Amino acid sequence: MQSFFRFLYELIGTPQPPADTPVYRQIVFPNIGLLNLGISLALVLIFYYVINKAMGVATFNKLRHWTLFLVLNALIAFIVVVWQAKAQQVTDHSYIYWLATLNAVYGLLFYFLFSVILRKGSTNASTTPF
Amino acid sequence: MQRSPFSQLLPGLLAVALLLPGCYSRDDLKSDAGNTKAAETIEAAAGKAPAASPEAEPSATTAATGPLKQVNVFLEVSGSMEGFMPKTGADAQNTRFQQHVAQFLSDVNRSASVQRKTFYRIKDKPYRDSYQQLETTVREGIREPASSTSIPAILDTLVSHYYQPNAVSVLISDFIYAPRNAGAVPYIKTDITDALNAAGRSDLAVSVYGHTSDFKGAFYPAMKTAAKRINRCCDTDIPYYVWVIGPADAVRRFDAALLKKAPGEQAHFGVKYSAPPSSLLNKFQNQGAWYYGEKDASKRAAGATYHTVAVSEVSAQQPVEFVLGMNLQALPTLYQDLGHLKANLQLTGQDTDAKIVNVFGATDQTRASSGPEAQYTHFVKIRVTKMGKAARPLQVILQDKRPMWITQWTTKNDSNINQVGAKTFALSSLIDGVAAVTTDEQNQAPIFQVPLTLQPAD
Repeated sequence: MQSFFRFLYELIGTPQPPADTPVYRQIVFPNIGLLNLGISLALVLIFYYVINKAMGVATFNKLRHWTLFLVLNALIAFIVVVWQAKAQQVTDHSYIYWLATLNAVYGLLFYFLFSVILRKGSTNASTTPF
Repeated sequence: MQRSPFSQLLPGLLAVALLLPGCYSRDDLKSDAGNTKAAETIEAAAGKAPAASPEAEPSATTAATGPLKQVNVFLEVSGSMEGFMPKTGADAQNTRFQQHVAQFLSDVNRSASVQRKTFYRIKDKPYRDSYQQLETTVREGIREPASSTSIPAILDTLVSHYYQPNAVSVLISDFIYAPRNAGAVPYIKTDITDALNAAGRSDLAVSVYGHTSDFKGAFYPAMKTAAKRINRCCDTDIPYYVWVIGPADAVRRFDAALLKKAPGEQAHFGVKYSAPPSSLLNKFQNQGAWYYGEKDASKRAAGATYHTVAVSEVSAQQPVEFVLGMNLQALPTLYQDLGHLKANLQLTGQDTDAKIVNVFGATDQTRASSGPEAQYTHFVKIRVTKMGKAARPLQVILQDKRPMWITQWTTKNDSNINQVGAKTFALSSLIDGVAAVTTDEQNQAPIFQVPLTLQPAD
């Protein structure tokens, strides 16, 4: 698990400053990775199964609605990193924002993948985004 | 059967519920550590309760940290010491020796670190004195000076008759040892070695404190080539010494309790010290791509110490610099002295060019810091530009090197002491004699060593 997230997040280089490397690898990366997966999945479920199935809302199934959730997910992914960095008391460094940006990109990716997998089960949005 | 929308969502919600608690947080780690600690103490208490009564516990610890059983203070009162303790005249002037030794005797007498204090004058043999009698001798001068006392004979007596576990002997003297004739000078070292070795004490340790004082009286040089005595001496200061002799552990504790703030110079022989608390500091003057290599470094537990450097990138252009913090408070002031440390701290490693680039003491800034550097009194900065392909040991060692002052305070001929200055005849030979007994010359143990590991980052 740790090595998977380490691979994922060290694509943009090793943590900075280097002294915080153990904290990033063993705490921050797994935390933000798991939260990102969990929140992406939750938003996909809310979009396809709560709004567009259980609640039966018929007017929230367009591409722009799906995109709204996509962007929301990316924003949350960004904020989660900044919050985790504060919570784990790592040294302030521009690296935190690079990591947050990377996490937002992964948020987009996860949201898209979950959408592709789960959209078929939705009543009103089974063809969103395509 | 019609399933409710909720039951269809259930698997997804479950998945989220499973993922979220998987997140690590420092609070979890902290409370985990707290729980295990609490559990340990409960276990420990449960294990101890039937075995030992509450009173039995402190007595076990006092053996190692409690007061010393006894100290014997010996003051040499031969004629050569008269100049340090001149009889008080109308001018009521006293020497620095009088001020210092009177204060020292008072400190010993008052100290709670030693249970029993006995005081002796040394003439041809030790004579028991009360504290008041000896203090009076120091302040008002020697009444009946002994003709001469031989240093080896005194040392022999101290190690043969006054040597006990958990007790020390303190000898205050000018340590001017005049061999019978010039031909015996080369044997000074041997005489001292034989005297200290007479009783075959295996854990013998000696701490030597060197002081200088003004001197008002007749000076008896060891080399009598010019004159047997120099009357109305001296224009120069004359050195005198406080030797603490006893088992290594007792000497260490006596030094720490009573001679911690001793002015003047010092040297220690055969005294063993426990390794000082130390840790690498990853956010204090660090440079380059390295981090703590310990597996649990991310926990950042309170009070944790680190000794592994994991280097992810190093080259001549991108050197790695790290600082080792050490708390040397428990060591004698000699080993806290930056000059001594700079000269004698060594770094040994394999496949690396790691070297010490700076040794510095705590400043107000480091002491006031909220970081771990606040706990340390001394810092060693190490620079690396190349290293091995695998983990290699790296050691910071304080070698047991004799301090410079011993050579500087030594003279081969004291017959003209006013020109020679504040030096003692054959001091380094006396010290050679001490060192031969207390240290294994084949295999010299360092004062302390801090083992580190230098490894490539994984």
